[in-house]
Amino acid sequence: MAKEIIVALAGNPNSGKTTVFNNLTGARQHVGNWPGVTVEKKEGSCNYKGYSIKVVDLPGVYSLTAYSPDEVVARNFIVEEKPDAVVDIVDASSLERNLYLAVQLLEMGARLIVALNMMDEADSRNYRIDVEGLSHLLGAPVVPMVANRNRGTEELLEEIIKVAEKEVEVKELVISYGQEVEEEIARLERLISQDGELSSKYSPRWLAVKLLEGDEEIVKKFKDVKAG
Amino acid sequence: MRSIYGDEAETVIADGRYGFISGLLKDVLKKPPIERLTLSDKIDRVIINRWLGIPLFLAIMFGVFQFVFKLSVPFMDWIDAGFGWLAGLVSGIGGWGGSLLADGVIGGVGSVLIFVPPIFLLFIAIAVLEDCGYMARAAFIMDRVMHKIGLHGRSFIPMILGFGCNIPGIMATRTIENPKDRLTTILINPFMSCGARLPIFVLLAGYFFAAQAGLVVFCMYIIGIVVAIIMALVFRKTLFRGVSSHFVMELPPYRLPTVKGVLTHMWERGRLFLRKAGTIIFGVVVLVWLLDYTGALEPIGSAIAPVFAPCGFGQWQAAVSLFFGFLAKEVVVGTMGTLFAAEEGVLGGAIAAQLGWTPLIAFAFMVFCLLYIPCVAAVATIKSETNSWKWPLFAIFYTTAIAWIVATLIFQIGSLFVG
Amino acid sequence: MNQLIPLAMVIPGEMVQVVDVRAGWGLRRKLADMGLTPGVIIRVMNSQMPGPIVIDLRGSRLVLGYGMTQKILVKRV
Repeated sequence: MAKEIIVALAGNPNSGKTTVFNNLTGARQHVGNWPGVTVEKKEGSCNYKGYSIKVVDLPGVYSLTAYSPDEVVARNFIVEEKPDAVVDIVDASSLERNLYLAVQLLEMGARLIVALNMMDEADSRNYRIDVEGLSHLLGAPVVPMVANRNRGTEELLEEIIKVAEKEVEVKELVISYGQEVEEEIARLERLISQDGELSSKYSPRWLAVKLLEGDEEIVKKFKDVKAG
Repeated sequence: MRSIYGDEAETVIADGRYGFISGLLKDVLKKPPIERLTLSDKIDRVIINRWLGIPLFLAIMFGVFQFVFKLSVPFMDWIDAGFGWLAGLVSGIGGWGGSLLADGVIGGVGSVLIFVPPIFLLFIAIAVLEDCGYMARAAFIMDRVMHKIGLHGRSFIPMILGFGCNIPGIMATRTIENPKDRLTTILINPFMSCGARLPIFVLLAGYFFAAQAGLVVFCMYIIGIVVAIIMALVFRKTLFRGVSSHFVMELPPYRLPTVKGVLTHMWERGRLFLRKAGTIIFGVVVLVWLLDYTGALEPIGSAIAPVFAPCGFGQWQAAVSLFFGFLAKEVVVGTMGTLFAAEEGVLGGAIAAQLGWTPLIAFAFMVFCLLYIPCVAAVATIKSETNSWKWPLFAIFYTTAIAWIVATLIFQIGSLFVG
Repeated sequence: MNQLIPLAMVIPGEMVQVVDVRAGWGLRRKLADMGLTPGVIIRVMNSQMPGPIVIDLRGSRLVLGYGMTQKILVKRV
């Protein structure tokens, strides 16, 4: 009986996410809609070293602040379904913007692997990326890839298994936002921890940050809790 | 429990994250000092140039048009020959079985399948344009033009996709945030002449206009665009007044499309067409054959036909073809193929002979097909994308009304000149 | 010399620093997510004035519509 792993693919639009998805799943894909919304849901599967891996292609997003249905779907999947691993496909030639999503995923405590795609484009621009350093500073594994030529796919699968089997631990990221904001976060955290249900499901700090960002979904959740 | 900071905090937080990233990248990423202009930037100097942008775009569209049509000719001839051979094989079988096979299936489905080459080539062209990154540039270039009709650049891509098939075109409107802009774009999408209408145009233009066939087909596309523009303006001024929304779009670097990528995209869209052919078209063609064989078709057609008399094609065969064309536009040709028991090669002649059509009538008919009802699959897509029945029904009625008015005008006014 | 001007008045090739975005909350957040935060330095790459422009923002290329360029205030650096 093959062991089952669920992997979510996240990333900016145009980052090559679809190519990675196709490389992993080949012809074994199924396209549908996420329940209740007109957002496309793509799932596929593959087998690797005795593991049966279900791959869910999340909508391409720039951020997880729940501003659009795409972001809500992506965010909810990671928080509710808690996949065994989340792969953020990052365009190496546009690192600064692409890492914004990775940072948010790390703040959420997702089991993140950064797939550093389009290395060929970065090379052609004479960028030198210290992959190990990046991995160390982010606290998550980084796999260089050129998905267009199907390079890096096996290495990615290896990391997925390692992360899923918890051989590699991904740390939750904490960024300091300056004294004023941090004080507010601490205050909110205290209030949130008083509610057992919410704080057991999500990290209190993350919830506090989301509230400050004015995240509508989270605000709604709090209103629901207060009412109930 | 509401945050007092409001949006100030968000910006600080976003900034904080980017600050973290910057700091991190200082250690980890080494860019050449005078980087600034990438190859893509240099290419863009030309492609999205103020003055060259639009002419280049038109040139590229024309190039695509030529590519699709010129290249498909040998393949289409080959398929035509294949079906002719099949018809020969079957001609020996008598009775209703033989008729079903020869007239129904081969005549009907064959006349549609022959268009697989241009439709697939069109999907390939669209895939190449998307994958290399040009589509985003097209949206940028056309933004100013789109503003004049009350939309913006992001509405442009769904319209281009609509030329391949209206369904991905309508679905591509998801990226448009403003609901009014989105609805307008969805409602004018059916006027983008989709691949399914090609069989009708090529068939009729080829027979009735011989040397100028290409020009006539091109005309159809232009008429579709013109009507779309007019309707966009009308919608903006009446049903959907309001402010246009913000245009923010990433411009990805140019990439060389991979053969695998292009073929995958082509297949994703193309296989829907084949599935339609295998199921809906096949089913309808058999149904039409059945109704024809049992003599039920002519009465039905004759009942509807008078509606089309002012347009010049008030014959029951035309009425029936248009009626079934609602299911899938390819069926218009498929139905005619079945009714006249002819494949593409001689179908044009059969229509002219038996219905007495002139080039003017053929032209009016083509325009009607261009503008009327989106096919049932497109209507279903409109419903699922707008989450209501109101808009798909509206689309059905208003497109058919416009089709009837324009076709009638063309025929009536044209008759004054041509006699 | 260091006055605030709308992004719409910046010519291609110029580098400017974003100071403020005079727009609603949703738009500000969306721009911030893409990397356009106060203090960031951007360069105008291409312009279709009056029309959309292309900017170099943190290494990526972003298209901004005309309406938006009038709402983003910058200063020359």
